Amino acid sequence: MAIQANFSAMLASTRMRLLTISRYPGQLVTDMIVPIVLAAMPILLGRAGGAANAEAVFKANTGTSNYVAYMLIGSSAFSIVSNAFWHMAYWLRREQELGTLETLYQVPTHRIWIAAGTALYSSLRAVSTALIAYWLGCLIMRVNPFQGDIALALLFIGVGLLPLYSLTLLFGAVVLKIKEANALVGLMQWGVSFLMGIYFPIAIFPPLVKALALLFPPTWMTNGVRSALLGVGFFFGAWYKDLAVLWAFMMVAPWLGVWVFTRTEVSIRRNEGMGQF
Amino acid sequence: MQRTNSPHSVSLSSFLSTFLAMVRKELLIMARYPVNFVVSFGQMFLTVSIFTLAGRLFYVPPAEQSGLSNGSNPSGIVVYGFILFIFLSDTLWTIGYNVRNEQVQGTLEQLYLSPASKFANLVARVTNTLVWTGLLSIAGGALMAALIGRLPFENPLLGLYLFVLALMGTFGVGFAFAALTLYIKETAQTLANLLQFAFLVLCANFFPFAALPPFLRFISRLIPLAYAVDAFRSALMGFPEGFPELAPFRIEFWIVTVFGLAMPVLGYYLYRAAERQARKEGSLSSY
Repeated sequence: MAIQANFSAMLASTRMRLLTISRYPGQLVTDMIVPIVLAAMPILLGRAGGAANAEAVFKANTGTSNYVAYMLIGSSAFSIVSNAFWHMAYWLRREQELGTLETLYQVPTHRIWIAAGTALYSSLRAVSTALIAYWLGCLIMRVNPFQGDIALALLFIGVGLLPLYSLTLLFGAVVLKIKEANALVGLMQWGVSFLMGIYFPIAIFPPLVKALALLFPPTWMTNGVRSALLGVGFFFGAWYKDLAVLWAFMMVAPWLGVWVFTRTEVSIRRNEGMGQF
Repeated sequence: MQRTNSPHSVSLSSFLSTFLAMVRKELLIMARYPVNFVVSFGQMFLTVSIFTLAGRLFYVPPAEQSGLSNGSNPSGIVVYGFILFIFLSDTLWTIGYNVRNEQVQGTLEQLYLSPASKFANLVARVTNTLVWTGLLSIAGGALMAALIGRLPFENPLLGLYLFVLALMGTFGVGFAFAALTLYIKETAQTLANLLQFAFLVLCANFFPFAALPPFLRFISRLIPLAYAVDAFRSALMGFPEGFPELAPFRIEFWIVTVFGLAMPVLGYYLYRAAERQARKEGSLSSY
């Protein structure tokens, strides 16, 4: 099938999902509120301990005294990661439950293009709501949202998205295999968030957990954004070195994701078929 | 056919029978999804660890980060608030949103066609919440205490009384939410999420009320559950200086007592009213 036709199918899939979500504005509002509330928990706990002392201890631990922005960046990044897993896993699970997944395998467009359409929709929704949540949260908690190198922060988010959505393909393969999404996504989103240091620097982890955390692209994305905006320090000391690691992820992760996903598909089709759920 | 002279004993035994059957059905469903079972424990441990590690950044200097405890820590505030929050969150989902699930699965109308007690139906869901969430909260509380330090544990009997009354009130909130679910249908999922987060902030489960801005503290003072959180943790922490924060303890005690006794009745009344309305409109099975 011509690449132009595949792109058209991908964009149609994105458009359909954007149209659907536009009918549920409450969900979009929730997407914006959740990161602010999640960040508010540790922020208010910190403020309760006496602002000056809390700031000093926080700075010693993280490299910045701006704990409001630090937590908001973490919760907004969490929202992007969490949405990526939810949207991709639920797309597959819902197609399975509605009985339309088997039909998808009979159309000339490969599933990867439909998955790419879902990923495009998901990233548009997740990134835009996360950015609004960050800016809104900063305004509510009286912190300047326009500090630091905003362009570099956006670059880290942009480069980090492809490896992130490649990870969701690996996860999609698991959903296809064990035919369960809800519980798995719940565990996965918190597991990844823990490893990527949603509210804390990964330096506090023991060496083995830290090494595991560094294998996750979202860890580099989150630290890159924090370093660009708050100057907490890049893992390799310079922004281009950290960005190079994300580029390396970007080169490897999609191939790995597609390979695992298609292998799982083939195995399922050879056995019970895609219609089973 | 066996006859009985006492209609009340028949209705009681029929109530118990329905109740046990519903509890069994809910437990059976739960047992058939072992992945959910295991995952909810894992998820809770991760969530607790994430928030605990975040809290430690404000209180524990870098040199002591590897240690397990620290003298100046907010463990009592966080752990006891967490326990009440996890019950509230599960109540909203397991009682309120479960009604929605029955609607989507098409079994809600069938339940109303049977002579089974509707009250037993609702209370059965509470029982499962008590068992499962109870286990989760004990495990979560123990983990948090291990991570952030020694847990104060004063006035256990008073704490138990306040906990039971707070739970009763929370279940009443769950019944009321179930009523709302019958009206708002699919929006219930979004609303449950929003309510959960609103309560999380306004009831100050993870931080003292003093950290809230004055206008939010004013709203907190309008929510009985906020007094339950404040009174419960103040009692178990042995009323340290500045606690309770919202009102003198005597007043909080009575607010919690009235909330615990009245809210289940009010919640159930609202649920029956919503259910009657839905039956009249024929919308019980439409979703």
